[in-house]
Formats: sequence, C-alpha cells, structure tokens
Amino acid sequence: MKIILVDDEKKFINMLAKRLALRGLQADVAYSGEQALEKAAKTHYDLAVLDLKMPGISGFVLKKKLQESWPRIKCIFVTGHGSIDKNGDQDHSEDIFLAKPLDIDTLIETIHRTIGPENTRRP
Amino acid sequence: MIGKPQILHKQEWLAFLFHRHDAHLASFHTFSNYRSIWIISIIILAVTSLSPLVMATLINQRLIRQSVDAELVLQTERVTSNAKRSVRFFLEERLNALRFIVNELPYYALIDNEHLAEILSNLKLGFGGFTDLSIIDADGSQVAYAGPFNLEGKNYKTQPWFTKSLQRDNFISEVFTGYRDVPHIIIAVRSMNALGRLFILRATLDTQRLMDTLLSYKTNVHTDIFLMNHTGLLQTPSKNYGKIFTPTRLDVPEFSTTTNVIMPENKSDHAFITGYSYIITEAVTTPFILLVNKEKSVVMGTWLNLGKTFNWIIGISCLVMMIIITLVSTFMVNKLYLADKTKAETMLRMEQSQQLACIGQLSAGIAHEINNPLALINETAGYLKDLYHFTEEEQNDEEVMENLDAILEAVSRCGTITSQLLGFVRQFDVQISRVDVEKLITGILRFHKKETEYKGIHVTTAISPDTPAIETDRGKLQQILLNLINNAFQAIEANGCLDITVSHLRPDNITIEIKDTGCGIPAENLKRIHEPFFSTKKEKMGTGLGLSITYGLVKKLQGNIRVESSEGVGTIFFVTLPVKMQKEESA
Repeated sequence: MKIILVDDEKKFINMLAKRLALRGLQADVAYSGEQALEKAAKTHYDLAVLDLKMPGISGFVLKKKLQESWPRIKCIFVTGHGSIDKNGDQDHSEDIFLAKPLDIDTLIETIHRTIGPENTRRP
Repeated sequence: MIGKPQILHKQEWLAFLFHRHDAHLASFHTFSNYRSIWIISIIILAVTSLSPLVMATLINQRLIRQSVDAELVLQTERVTSNAKRSVRFFLEERLNALRFIVNELPYYALIDNEHLAEILSNLKLGFGGFTDLSIIDADGSQVAYAGPFNLEGKNYKTQPWFTKSLQRDNFISEVFTGYRDVPHIIIAVRSMNALGRLFILRATLDTQRLMDTLLSYKTNVHTDIFLMNHTGLLQTPSKNYGKIFTPTRLDVPEFSTTTNVIMPENKSDHAFITGYSYIITEAVTTPFILLVNKEKSVVMGTWLNLGKTFNWIIGISCLVMMIIITLVSTFMVNKLYLADKTKAETMLRMEQSQQLACIGQLSAGIAHEINNPLALINETAGYLKDLYHFTEEEQNDEEVMENLDAILEAVSRCGTITSQLLGFVRQFDVQISRVDVEKLITGILRFHKKETEYKGIHVTTAISPDTPAIETDRGKLQQILLNLINNAFQAIEANGCLDITVSHLRPDNITIEIKDTGCGIPAENLKRIHEPFFSTKKEKMGTGLGLSITYGLVKKLQGNIRVESSEGVGTIFFVTLPVKMQKEESA
C-alpha cells in the first residue's frame, strides 16, 4: 500500500505525512505535479492525495497523468478553495474532495474507504 | 445584507393607489407619484376628448338659437306686415268711399235723409262694416242721419273727434263708445258746400269687422294680435292684456312708418317677441298701432325639445367617455406602475446580487488565503498533539493537551467560517448536469456515519422509485443537502430520528423532505432563519450563514424551500427542485 501526498505547501504536506506516519500510513511527499510524476515513475502508488491548485500541473491534470501510468490509482483531492473548477469533459462523480483545513480522522477514514481497510496497516 | 424583495405576481387593479413607499425601491422607480400621473392623465384625456364635443355642442346650440330667432323675427314681421296691410286697406277703402261720396254728390243730396239711407245701404252692401252715416255742419249740428240709432239733431261741437275732423280733410278716430255705448270707430271726411261752408260726412264703423280681419291672421292660440292707441290703451281685445280699453302698460314703441320686430332682452324662452306697426294710410295717420305678440317658447318648442334631447345625448356621451377614460387611465397607469415596480425590483435584485457577488468574491479570496495557513496551523497543532498522544510519557500533561485542543477547535471553527464564506461564491456560478439524488444523499450520509453511530441517531431514507435523475447543479445541491443534514444532526439529541424522503408528485419537480426530531425552531425565529448571520447557535460555533446560503442556493437552482417546525417536536425542511433546470444568465 503506497500513498503519495502532493501539495506545493511544503510545511503542510510534510506535517501531514508525519501525522499519517504516526497513524501507520507511510506516505511519500511531492511538492509539485512534476515531482509527483517523477516519483510515480519509480514507484507504484495505490493512492494519491492531491492539492487541486498547484503551480504547473494542477490536481486534475496530475490525476489524469498518473492514471495513464497506473490506471488503478485512486485519488483524493484536497482544496483550500470553496469551488471546484471542473474543467473539460472529465467525470468527477467518483472523485472525493476534502476541504482545508483537514480533519485527520476524516482523511484517514476517507483513505480507508477509498482503498479498503484491508490494504492499510493500522498501528 | 439585504432581504429578498417580493415579486408582485398578483396584478391587482389600483395597485398603484396602494403603493407604499419603499426606500430601497424608490431610487429605481422611474416615476414616484402615480396618483398624480393618474389624475393628470384623466384630466388630459378628458380635456382633449371632451372639449371639442362640448365646444361643437355650444356652437351648434348658438347657431340653432340664432337661426330660430331669425326665423321667428321673419315670421312675426310677415304676420305683422300682412295684418297691417289688411287693417290699413280696411280703413283706407272706407275712407276713400266716403271721399268719393262727398266729391260725387252735391250737398243737398247728402242732407236728404232718404238719399243718405240709400247711400248707407249701398255702402253696407259694397264694403260692409258701416253702422251709420251722418252729415254734420261746421257748428257741430247733425244735419242728416241714416242708421239704426235716433241721433238726429245731436250736436257734436264738444266732441274731441269733431274738433279734430274739422281741422283736416280726413279723420279716423280711436275706438270709443260715444253716446250709444257701443265701441265704434268714426271716419270723417271734411268738405265744403256750395255756400262755402264746411261740413263733415261722418261714418261709424263696426269694430267687429275689424276684429274679424285681425283674427284671420292669428295663426295659433299662442299668437296675440291686437290694436292699441298711441297711449297704450287696447283698441281691440287682447289674449294677453284683456278686454278692449284696458291699459296695456306697454311701452309705446317708437314711431316708425315700417313694420318692426322687438326681440325681448330677456333671454328666457317665456318672453314675447313683438311685431308692431303704426297704421298709416295715404290720406291720414290713424291712432292705431298694430301689435303681434308671439311667445318664444311655444314657437321654439320643437327646437327647444330637440336641444334638450341633444343635451341629454351629449351629457350621457360625456359620462360614458369619462368612465372609459377613467378606466383606460387606471388600467394604463396600473400597467405602468407594475412594469416600473417589476423593473425597480429587478434592478434592486441585480444590485443586491452584484453586491452579494462582490462580497462573496471578496470573502472567497480571503477565505482561500486564510485556508492555507489555517491548514498548516491545523496540521502543526495536530502533529504536536499526536506527539504527546503517541509518546506515552508526555500523555499526562493535561495543560498542554488542553491548549492544543483549544488551537485545534479554533482552527476548526475558522475552517467552518471559511468554507461557508466560500459557499457564497458558489451561488453565482451554475453548472448543470444530471444528478442522481439518491446517490447524492447516500454519499452525504456516509460522511455522517460516525456521528450517526456515536449519537445513536436512527436515519431512514425513503426515495420514491419513480424519482428521475434531475438536471441541476450537483455542487450546489450537495451543499444544500449537506447544510440541511448538518443542521438536522446538530438539532437531534441522542436516539433521535432523521427521515429523508424524496417524492416525485408532480411531473416537473421533485420534493426532498428532511425531517428531524430535534429541538425545533421557535415560531418567532422561523421568519428569520434565512437571514444572513441570524444564528441561535452562538455557543455551538454557528456563523448564521448556513441557512442563508442554503436559501440562496435553492433559489439559484430555481427551487423553493419551506420549513415547518414546532418547538420540542422537530423540524421539516421541504426543498422543491425542478426536474429540469432552465439555463439562465448568471448574475
């Protein structure tokens, strides 16, 4: 079970990774879409927690690109914006959106629900 | 913030009369005083449409009156003139007969009573109207007499007519009674006998004959024809002034040789129009004035009746026109008012929307900027707490834990505020897609699963099987349901119930019912729950924006929201949404 967290807010994403680690969920971090793609080229991630708005590659584009390499990868979007700019013809009915600031328990629960608790290891 | 203006759906008559001043709407109204516009429009319409009618009527009446008056004058003049000619002819004929006799016959023949009687008989036969005939010498003694009265030997020296007849060749007297006490006229002709002495041939005329002549000109009962003398004394009976010899008290008209007509100065229709003529023969001026009186009202009767009928018709027409003008003005001004009101309301709404949009965008900008540092505070504080939580030796430091919890609670509260502020932005941008309401509700309930289990809340969903997927904005509908369900969860105490029902009763819309067994809303608060920043949950971190946003979102989705609540029993929110949302230009 591999998780990658992508957000341009470095401190935030590092802190989140640490908190997840404390709860037994090991996650890699990337500070941009490009970095995330680089990491994804080397590792097979099961789940990506993506910020929607990032400089360069946005969350939606990143999801699309990740899915090109790993079609079964699941995505959870995290956004500080109230609105979601649903661009193009992408279907977002299956996507999960969480608002900042995150409630860690909600995030963990969402992760479990998305990929199934049997795939995660709890402390 | 500004409340939603009410749109006037009911286009009642006279709405403008009951217009209430609204400070918010006033600046958007094109006109302010509809009452005065109404009155002015009625006056202008009435004046422009009725004045030509009234003017034409007045001119018409004046012309009719003038022509009737002219006709009346002509008619009276004709009658007077004809009657005058007859009377003059009557007198002239007889005077000329006497003149012929004195010139033709010698004096001795005239003073022969038998011969005189024969002459009288011939005169009666030839002309008629003669009563007697006599010869009077210059001393006033009657020399010869022929007639029914025994007047022979009478002396007329003291009689005024005798004096006058001795002074001129021909004389016609007024009507008088004389010795015999019968009204008569004397015609006298002066002549000279062979000895050069003046004598007079006098004839007495029967007034009846004259009266008959006059009466023959009386065309109707309303015409009064009579003779009076130069002092105003009646010489023949008059219908209006009475018997013969009665003083008429009329002003004796100015002397004229022609026939004249006097129009009464009094404009009343009961006045008399008077034709008069002095009777003047070629040989002598008689003491008679012929008068013809016609009552104007009777002569003009037909015309006056026609005028009255005409006035009635005009009056009724004016009344009908006034009613129509009033109705039309009222209708038009009301339409104008309603259009203006609708325009003002639309403009106010647009202004409010724009204001809201500005506030929303500003709020969203701030909220977004705050969200990132907030997220960092949240994670940092959370991590610190985690450190204490997961490292057992620090676990008992309650003071640190309490403070961290306080930070996290504050962050959570800020998060709620920013997420609701962000909700404002979402009101202004609609993206329509097909939404399965059942899936949406299930998804939302999933978020509350933990709370449901923790509080022991019994949740039921009943979705009518024929509920179609609706075309609406998914995000907004999600927000609406999330807000309402959140509200319900906050209201419900442990072991309460939350029932969500979706029904499709009408083909063009669906109704979502969210019913909780919570604390309910007091009646006085029910009206205010949609007002922004109205909150009763200050202690529970309410911002007062939730229902206000929900209300705005439902309206944005072209739906309606209604609430029923009783305190202590529970609350039901009814959200009605169209099955197919119409695209509209975003504000």
